[in-house]
Amino acid sequence: MSDLGLSDLQRWFQAVVTHPDGISVGAESEEAIAIAPLSRNELESMVTRSEKLSAQERLSIYAQAYFARLIECLGESFPVLKQTLGEELFNGFAFGYLQQYPSRSYTLARLADKFAQFLHETRPSNDEATADGEDLHPSWPDFLIDLANLEWNIADVFDGPGIEKITTLNAEQLLDVTPEQWGAIRLQTAPCLRLMKTQFPVNGYFTAIRLADNDTKVDPPSPEDSYVALSRREYIVRRHELSRPQYELLVALQDGRTIAEAIEHAALAGGMSDDDLIKNLPSWFGAWTRHQFFVSFEVT
Amino acid sequence: MTTPRLGHADLGLGVGLRSPHYDYILEHWPAVDWFEVISENYMDSQGRPRYILDQIAERYPLVMHGVSLSIGSSDPLDREYLNGLKALAKDIKPAWISDHICWTGIAARNTHDLLPVPFTEQTLRHVVERVRIVQDVLERPFVLENPSSYVQFQGSTMNEWEFVTRLAEDADCGLLLDVNNVYVSSFNHDMDPETFIRSLPHERIVQFHLAGHSNYRTHIIDTHDNHVIDPVWDLYRIAHELTGGVSTMLEWDANIPAFPVVHNEVLKAKQFVGDHLLRAETGDAPGDLDVQQGAQSVPHPLHFVSADVE
Ligand SMILES: [Fe+2]
Repeated sequence: MSDLGLSDLQRWFQAVVTHPDGISVGAESEEAIAIAPLSRNELESMVTRSEKLSAQERLSIYAQAYFARLIECLGESFPVLKQTLGEELFNGFAFGYLQQYPSRSYTLARLADKFAQFLHETRPSNDEATADGEDLHPSWPDFLIDLANLEWNIADVFDGPGIEKITTLNAEQLLDVTPEQWGAIRLQTAPCLRLMKTQFPVNGYFTAIRLADNDTKVDPPSPEDSYVALSRREYIVRRHELSRPQYELLVALQDGRTIAEAIEHAALAGGMSDDDLIKNLPSWFGAWTRHQFFVSFEVT
Repeated sequence: MTTPRLGHADLGLGVGLRSPHYDYILEHWPAVDWFEVISENYMDSQGRPRYILDQIAERYPLVMHGVSLSIGSSDPLDREYLNGLKALAKDIKPAWISDHICWTGIAARNTHDLLPVPFTEQTLRHVVERVRIVQDVLERPFVLENPSSYVQFQGSTMNEWEFVTRLAEDADCGLLLDVNNVYVSSFNHDMDPETFIRSLPHERIVQFHLAGHSNYRTHIIDTHDNHVIDPVWDLYRIAHELTGGVSTMLEWDANIPAFPVVHNEVLKAKQFVGDHLLRAETGDAPGDLDVQQGAQSVPHPLHFVSADVE
């Protein structure tokens, strides 16, 4: 088998060293056999042995390294999720993920992109979750998915586009707008503003984990619809808790609606009267301009 | 006749830029001759890593070192990746751009490992052609490194140094001689590391790498997690003599200590140049120490930058 062309040799090698069950099973997998019909005892016809190690032992170095390094990398992408699940359980999810979604990017920055989606796709169905008679309340898998989403978004905001090199909108500029024009304004939100709605208060949990000593156990929270804005100032990701009306208002503004439209939407979706909401606007916009949520505005 | 280092500058003794050292560097601006940066960590960054790199680029000479070119793969070259490299190079103006003589995956997959190629005429033709394309696209000095490896192929028809030599000469590119990788691969494949180094085209070597590794007695894993051992310093001394001295850089990628420790490690290189009779005796890692049983470590540690969040 030593005369395989480069392409076949590489397809064989990759099939063998990335097989989840190891070299021997990998060598006898359909994919590998189709290229090189070898049994696990015939690996030496492809790879030389050394004085001290067999061909199989030498190939195993690559096989062990493949999953180990990528699992470790995923752990660094989801530190709080990993701490929550414990290393063994987290690594099990990561192992499954790498088989389902092997890396196809030149950069590790994209390695974790589908991890939350993978957790969602492989979560126990509601039937299983309710086997003990519980109803469709958000459950443990939903918490894990929320947490994975939060951590992925933090990493994405950290290295994505930001507002450090531009001037953002300040409160005074907004105050200069005449009352007649106010409702017709459309705000351009910062590219690093990320609005998230979760079924569990994962942002508070994230804070609690980070504040806790290593050996203090933090209990996972009970389900409760929660809202958080992620943004970035001075290259550090900032997390801001939001109320439901605040979240709805910001989502509508980010969608490009006018302030008047956004207020109407937020009051309706957020369960707040228009008047109450309008009363809160000065303090909300004061905080949001300080957090640099907006880049500019236009009067339409 | 080729000039030493292909005419490129000897930048001195450099260190690999790693995220745990960002704050130290920004605060102290240490007197390091130059930095090597991992291209993939910065080419798409629009955040803090890139912001820090831009500041460092204003103060130090830089070299770009990549891990994803996959020059030996049968897959087509990734043009998007090449364009990204080129764009970063335009901004930070590295003295040269390097990657490894390896492949990282096939069928559009990336194992994020540096996998070995068979040393055959077919591989040689394939890689030479691709190096020429890469040089045409990048329009900058391009340099290839010998990786650490753990297997060799039955189908190989030449040894590693012959392959490396012919590749560099046929493609007309530079070499990054990783002295530790020569030691690691030679141990793993029962070769003589000194013969390896003596057989290379020395005038094409434009950079050295040094690093620590983990010795399991039956094999060595290239873990970049420790001091350089004295036998590797001895090889460095020989390589220095043969090349007349080239830019030297230390890689420390796992269990990364404080910046001054890493910097100090590369500064030891000064002891091994000039006096060719001196045997290496640093006392820090005199030879290979047995790795604790069961502490299997990962070769070629990845460089992942974690997010800063409040
Ligand atoms: Fe290296």
